[in-house]
Amino acid sequence: MNNLVFGKYIPIDSPMHRLDPRAKLIGLFLMIAAVFVPKSWWVFLVIAILLTIALASAKIGIRMIVQSFKPMLMMMLFLLIINSLTVKTGEPLFAIGTFTIYHDAIFNTLFVIVRLLLMISITTLLTATTNPLDLTLGIEWLLKPLEVIHFPSHEVAMMVSIALRFIPTIIEETIRIMNAQKSRGVDFENGKLSQKIAAILSLIVPLFSVAFERAYELADAMEARGYVPGAKRTRYHVLKFKFTDYLFIFICGLVLAFSIASRSFL
Amino acid sequence: MSLIEIKDVYYAYNEQNKAIDGVSFDIKQGDYVTIIGHNGSGKSTLAKLIAGLLPVKSGSITVGGLEVNEDNIAAIRTRLGIVFQNPDNQFIGSTVKDDIAFGLENRQIPSEQMEGIIREYSEKVGLSDYLEYEPQNLSGGQKQRVAIAGILAMKPDILIFDEATSMLDPKGKKEIKKLMYDLAAGDDITIISITHDIEEVLQSDDCVVLNKGKLFMHDKPEKVFADAEKLRKIDLDVPFVEQIREAFAKRKIKLKNDDLKGMVEQLCRYRSNH
Repeated sequence: MNNLVFGKYIPIDSPMHRLDPRAKLIGLFLMIAAVFVPKSWWVFLVIAILLTIALASAKIGIRMIVQSFKPMLMMMLFLLIINSLTVKTGEPLFAIGTFTIYHDAIFNTLFVIVRLLLMISITTLLTATTNPLDLTLGIEWLLKPLEVIHFPSHEVAMMVSIALRFIPTIIEETIRIMNAQKSRGVDFENGKLSQKIAAILSLIVPLFSVAFERAYELADAMEARGYVPGAKRTRYHVLKFKFTDYLFIFICGLVLAFSIASRSFL
Repeated sequence: MSLIEIKDVYYAYNEQNKAIDGVSFDIKQGDYVTIIGHNGSGKSTLAKLIAGLLPVKSGSITVGGLEVNEDNIAAIRTRLGIVFQNPDNQFIGSTVKDDIAFGLENRQIPSEQMEGIIREYSEKVGLSDYLEYEPQNLSGGQKQRVAIAGILAMKPDILIFDEATSMLDPKGKKEIKKLMYDLAAGDDITIISITHDIEEVLQSDDCVVLNKGKLFMHDKPEKVFADAEKLRKIDLDVPFVEQIREAFAKRKIKLKNDDLKGMVEQLCRYRSNH
């Protein structure tokens, strides 16, 4: 589970790490919009250059970015094959036997693929440089306006941060239960599909039962420490916009503006 | 007036068996009270009733003159903290300092003041170097110390330890017990500790023995353990010292000094004579 790159936080210090999570979230939305709007390769090039600078300043290596693309490779290949078979517009490029591949089939797909790759890189930049807890605080802040329609943004943020807090604990527990079941003769690796399902069930049932027990105890502990859902609380982590945060949002906004404008001149 | 008054309290999780069956006793301010009994004797239920985490079915519990009920629970919780058994299931924050801050946030302490409070109490439990640590990188004993710091930071004068040491290794147990004894040494903090640890019971001012939801004994720990027959009747362990005392009585040897030192002396004399 540790080789999962997408969404993984890299706990180091860099200018990108120091930005306010809210600024990074707003920047993420602006940049993703900027990737979606344009029709020209030139805009992608500009965004890619800016992104490379940002990734370098965040000390994220090229290897990590390439790794983060891996889960999408199959989908991209599939997209390319389907489009090659169905799209019949543009100049005919080359023929395989009697089947002709057209210009649009290849280039339109590549366009979509580059768009996807840029989106993944932007998201990786956010998650790699933002501590999950700060990210939760940022999301909570962004959801604040929804409190007008009684959306419990604080409670949602609390749930997410508790879920994040318990991921390592639950993983530890999963390993413990797996070992306990293995010692009782359950085989998780071999066997027919039906046997594998039975083996997984022997893991899932105790895992859920323990998780519920945990939840009850945690609720007691939270209540005993004065937590009342919906009640006013102060916050230990107070987010503060700095000049660099405004600058970052401004630059991202500028990119979006350029990207929108590019539709009329490029 | 006693700080905590428990009067004829009943509680049942289901129809068939009463978890707490007509228990009454008082706890004085500043006392260190241990509650012992078998699993299922109602110890943890009683702690949850005192803390208002469960509502009493009948009878009443008052804390500092306030009855534990919906209306008073917020006021009572400001002076009462519980440390639970499982170190993992009471770690709410994602790091040590966040966890200590959790109670402060609920108490609406301004964020500027939190840093100082967190530093003060993490130091008190000896974890000031671990503020940035995540729970999975702490030992069980350290996690329990975080829980204690988080509760002390809210400045309660009543602390309930619900088998707080039972899931810890010997080192962790020792650390937590030392912290508890230090806290108990002060005059203002009242400690209620649910435990299986006889050594700890001997350190307390008062011992409550529960059996099948009923109050079985309530006395000074020496007195409780002196009645070894009664304890054996409900299959509870008798401390080693009491076992020796019994052995002397069986051999009809009269103790000159009925304390630990006197017994050690007598025991040495007995060895050299036989």
